[in-house]
Amino acid sequence: MTDWLTPGEWMALTLSLKVAFWATLTSLPFGLLVGHALARWAFWGKGLLNGLVLLPLILPPVVTGYLLLVTFGRNGAVGAWLYQTTGFTFAFQWTGAALAAAVMAFPLLVRAIRLSIEAVDTRLEQAAGTLGASPGWVWLTVTLPLALPGVLAGMVLTFAKAMGEFGATITFVASIPGQTQTVPTAIYEALQVPGGEPAALRLVILSVVVAMGAVFASEWLARGVARRVRGE
Amino acid sequence: MRALILALLLPFSAVAEGVTVFAAASLKTALDPVARAWAAETGHEVLISYGGTATLARQIEAGAPADIFIAASVDWMDHVQGAGLINVASRRDLWGNQLVLVGQAGAESFDLGDLPGQLGEGKLSMAFVEAVPAGQYGKAALEKLGLWGAVAGQVVQSENVRVAMSFVARGEAAFGVVYASDALAEPGVTVVAAFPPDSHAQILYPAALTVTAGPEAAAFLAALEAPAADKVFLANGFSLP
Repeated sequence: MTDWLTPGEWMALTLSLKVAFWATLTSLPFGLLVGHALARWAFWGKGLLNGLVLLPLILPPVVTGYLLLVTFGRNGAVGAWLYQTTGFTFAFQWTGAALAAAVMAFPLLVRAIRLSIEAVDTRLEQAAGTLGASPGWVWLTVTLPLALPGVLAGMVLTFAKAMGEFGATITFVASIPGQTQTVPTAIYEALQVPGGEPAALRLVILSVVVAMGAVFASEWLARGVARRVRGE
Repeated sequence: MRALILALLLPFSAVAEGVTVFAAASLKTALDPVARAWAAETGHEVLISYGGTATLARQIEAGAPADIFIAASVDWMDHVQGAGLINVASRRDLWGNQLVLVGQAGAESFDLGDLPGQLGEGKLSMAFVEAVPAGQYGKAALEKLGLWGAVAGQVVQSENVRVAMSFVARGEAAFGVVYASDALAEPGVTVVAAFPPDSHAQILYPAALTVTAGPEAAAFLAALEAPAADKVFLANGFSLP
């Protein structure tokens, strides 16, 4: 497997997997919170929140990347404060690539979670409540398990989107081999060279294999979950 | 309303008669006024599609309706010529450029040899060093000057030289390697050092008519070599080959 990939391409692949994994994992709690809020809570500014969450889907990725740079760059509004107080920075680091991927994929994650929570029968939650379960416990033992197939679907979408994110990533954290040069960036770079097609094709096949693998894994997981929810 | 619907339904009905130019993105500041002046003088329309040289070359290969191709790299023009898509007799090098090191506006100049020390922990912003011409020239020059090894770990690469420069203007990267013409167009940066011309291959903008170009295109290409055009390009930081 390592033979037909150059070390640089291999590095891009492992980096992409790392970025996608962390983007999915770290955005999940936020996705659950926002998805639940949009599905169940009534509050002032709900429409605004919904619009904000969808924004990365509508804006050109380059604009999202630029806004991230202006906000989280070393001299950005939040980035400068973060760097001075903690010494941590997203700028030109793989964490920045993960942040860009997470932001770009967030609408997909929230959408899937929101729809699956909306589909949960509230009478089941009320029944658990009358039997003495606290609201948090009800959410953890009734709402979440019933919504799990949708949550998983959202996570797979997030992972897939994160693997393919290009525009926001290159605008925010540029391309540094081993730090921010992901598979899409490497494909783009390969196509900038006359005769770079074979290298690009190798990377494309590789991303297709990874994406298909993620889809099959999620199908398999979702089937298992559905079986458990039905009580088999 | 009806006009709007018609316009949406017939997206290709309004193709104008004129000269279509595919030009490297870095030429925009100088090429736009020259094209406007020529269009006003002759009455022919000039449509310019700016983009990365690689993207434009691949589009021409795929049959894009360009009359003139102006590349930022000799390699890509050779590639398109090899594919038999340009009128070889019309090919010429129109302009040149210079490679400079820029810092944020107000930065003090220094000797290029001090770059590793000046850089410290900061980043050096460049276009893709293996793929985009500005990055390739820059890497070659830094290698020739014996500096590449010392700075390679701090190089941040972007898809084109203007993006690379914007990282410097925003203060995210300490220095950047860009063309003199780019540095002139961006008030947020200052040239701190110029690369010696013999430290890299000559920077050239080759232009040619495509095999499908008409007489108006030939006239526009000739106008690009006229003294009036030279004046605009020199004022925008380009040089003559």
